[in-house]
Amino acid sequence: MTMPAAEEMAGPIAGEQTVGAPARRKPLLARIPDIAPLAVLLIGLCIFFAIKSEFFLEYDNFLNILTAAAITGIIAAPATLLLVAGQFDLSVGSGLTFAGIVMAYVAERQGLLAGVLCAVAAGLLLGAINGTLVTVVGVNPLITTLGTLAAFVGLARVIADGQTLPLNDFSGLGTSRPLFDIPLPVIIFAVVVIVFAGVMRYTVFGRSMYAIGANPVAARLAGIRTKRLIFAAFVLSGLCVALAALINVSQLSAASTQAGNGLELSVITAVVLGGASLSGGRGTMLGTLFGLLVIAVLNNGLTLLSVNSFWQDVARGTLLILAVSFDQLRLRFADR
Amino acid sequence: MTDPFRLQARGIRKAFGGVEVLHGVDLDAAGGEVVALLGENGAGKSTLVKIMAGDHQPDAGEVVIGGDRFDALTPVSARQAGVRMIFQELADAPTLTVAENISLGRWPTRGPIVRWRVVRERAAKVLEQLDVDLDLDAPVAGLSVSERQIVEIARALSDRARCLILDEPTAALSSQETERLFRFVRRLRDQGVALVYITHRLDEVREIADRVAVLRDGAVVLEGPAAGMSRRDLVSAMVGRSIGDVARPADVKAPESASPRVRLAGASVDGCFSDVALEVRPGEVVALYGKVGSGIAEVAQSVFGMRPLTAGSLELDGERKQLRGPADAIAAGVGLLPADRQREAAFMVLSVAENLSAPSWSRLSDRGFITARREAATYRRWHDELHIRSRNDPAQPLATLSGGNQQKVLLGRWLERESRVLVLIEPTRGVDVGARAEIYRSIRALAARGVAVLVATSDYEEVVQLADRAVVMARGRIVADLADEQITTERLTEEVGGR
Repeated sequence: MTMPAAEEMAGPIAGEQTVGAPARRKPLLARIPDIAPLAVLLIGLCIFFAIKSEFFLEYDNFLNILTAAAITGIIAAPATLLLVAGQFDLSVGSGLTFAGIVMAYVAERQGLLAGVLCAVAAGLLLGAINGTLVTVVGVNPLITTLGTLAAFVGLARVIADGQTLPLNDFSGLGTSRPLFDIPLPVIIFAVVVIVFAGVMRYTVFGRSMYAIGANPVAARLAGIRTKRLIFAAFVLSGLCVALAALINVSQLSAASTQAGNGLELSVITAVVLGGASLSGGRGTMLGTLFGLLVIAVLNNGLTLLSVNSFWQDVARGTLLILAVSFDQLRLRFADR
Repeated sequence: MTDPFRLQARGIRKAFGGVEVLHGVDLDAAGGEVVALLGENGAGKSTLVKIMAGDHQPDAGEVVIGGDRFDALTPVSARQAGVRMIFQELADAPTLTVAENISLGRWPTRGPIVRWRVVRERAAKVLEQLDVDLDLDAPVAGLSVSERQIVEIARALSDRARCLILDEPTAALSSQETERLFRFVRRLRDQGVALVYITHRLDEVREIADRVAVLRDGAVVLEGPAAGMSRRDLVSAMVGRSIGDVARPADVKAPESASPRVRLAGASVDGCFSDVALEVRPGEVVALYGKVGSGIAEVAQSVFGMRPLTAGSLELDGERKQLRGPADAIAAGVGLLPADRQREAAFMVLSVAENLSAPSWSRLSDRGFITARREAATYRRWHDELHIRSRNDPAQPLATLSGGNQQKVLLGRWLERESRVLVLIEPTRGVDVGARAEIYRSIRALAARGVAVLVATSDYEEVVQLADRAVVMARGRIVADLADEQITTERLTEEVGGR
């Protein structure tokens, strides 16, 4: 593969470029690839837990980790897309609860297919409401989705009358292992991540989201239909929430009104840990994948070491703050 | 205390990054006079006054305030000595009231409690002394720009300021507002305040200044009483050549027969402009000249679909258009370089290639898919063509380029999009003289390709140097339509309602 290099050398202005300002050497912190610190952290955690627990390196445990990351991951994919455009969706957890309850409620009365369709419709509805409020009404996305978070979990409890709704004969989606003993949710997770990575990297839609996040005014003046695209991203988020809800209900054979509690925190942590900037315009699907794995490995390892699950919350919160602090430090150095 | 208060700069030298921008400058302002500091962008005006206000330290020379010498003036000591700078960008707290803004940062307190009665009294006293009638309890966000400037000045005066440096205070003002500010400045002068007034508008000098100092390339080239100076003297001092030398474009002009690319007829936007008729032909550069607030920027924005017309019509290439937004305008072949490029055009964290190709993504894509390779190839092509000085690395973030080169990338995006009409708003605002010439060349080169160029500008020299035709606007209406040799600085100033 010498072609690209040769092509660059042959560029007609190859000589001229040195005439301007001499290329500044970037400071060390700015030259580290975005993903490197996270990869180091992940490997470090794996080594630590492998030493501490004999079960950590087993194939089954590996699948456990991925299965645990699947639901968060399926939602973190559109969340990455949204954050890259400078948008948030905090209503994902409550959306998951809501869609799950709708699924179980309708399935019991009208059959499984109707249940699935209604759950998908519920997710799309949530996304459309968020998207409309943000783009048409112009409410801040944080406040919008905080509002729908409260409203939809409330609605779910109203429908279920506060009870857990059982759902039988729907365990295939969540528990079957069609390939190499890999659970179906993990396969779906992988597909979703790959699709979103492709969308963000190789499509006009993905590019436009980066542009919107980098500068919404300039994006509009460059002919990007910003409102339409942001709306679409919120709807995608709703769709993925519905998909995650179906998997969740299937795994538990029941829909709980607590199912999605705190999910938004895990999702945002993974995305931010993965390097997406809170001010928009920066972030990748690969980064989010690493963020998800770090969290999943941490939770899994701490469980294997029988650490109290409350401490896991402390660890996750700390990780989020560390990730953001590191991002700020790096930006500051990059500015110099 | 019979001597008036004086602010003096003596032999100020200052270099940035090894380049000396001030070569031993003297400037003197006494209480009771207005000194106009003139000069083109990049002449060193801002650096000089920042040194006088303590924001920069001079490499040599000293600042003398009211008889006290300072060789290392800090903003705090300048403030204590009574020197205050009023910046172009308002530095007030918009949601707070007039009275609160006047006491901003030095709240009268008893223990931890703010004494609101004193805040009001203080404000009432200073506004009365200045003979200004403003509602003390109105949030400043609801005031006009000139009123907000007056509040800022009042804040400075109530904090014992005796010398005010005003940095192009009229840049964002309409003519009525300018009048109001001038009356206010004269009143300050009569009360014994020393005023340094930075501007590059010559018409303001005769109106407001007692003395004039012209700065060019970091040295004072002309200094004396304003009364004895003609406009011609000032211009030749500023640009270093006589006024007749201002170059008119010598390019081939658009054939009269060519049908117009842009055609506005009876166009109006409520509250901005009304009954505007203008045409731009392929290959032609038409300047839309007027003061800030005259409606020029709004007309330009309408052509780009940012402001739907409320009456009249817009035709592009002979076809009547109802643009519902920039996306429609771009699809119809119009491009825009807005005035505030950082905020309205640039994606600083994205790569130069992405910045250049953003409006063309759909065209460069294959059923919605686009590759970085394709973008990079696009960038390399324009990199050569536009002489963009960069590492020729398509993945380089835009923020790493200099301002002038960023602008070339942003111009290039419309070339790549094959726009047939280019709208530019204040294309050289904040650009220094050298880069300006290069931008003018780029614009002429665009016209030579057959692009119809519409430039909205409040800078008459820009009109003279750039335009084939000049449409002059005042208060939302067209007041003159000038061609070729009719386009002179005198004529433009006269038509715009020169004071």
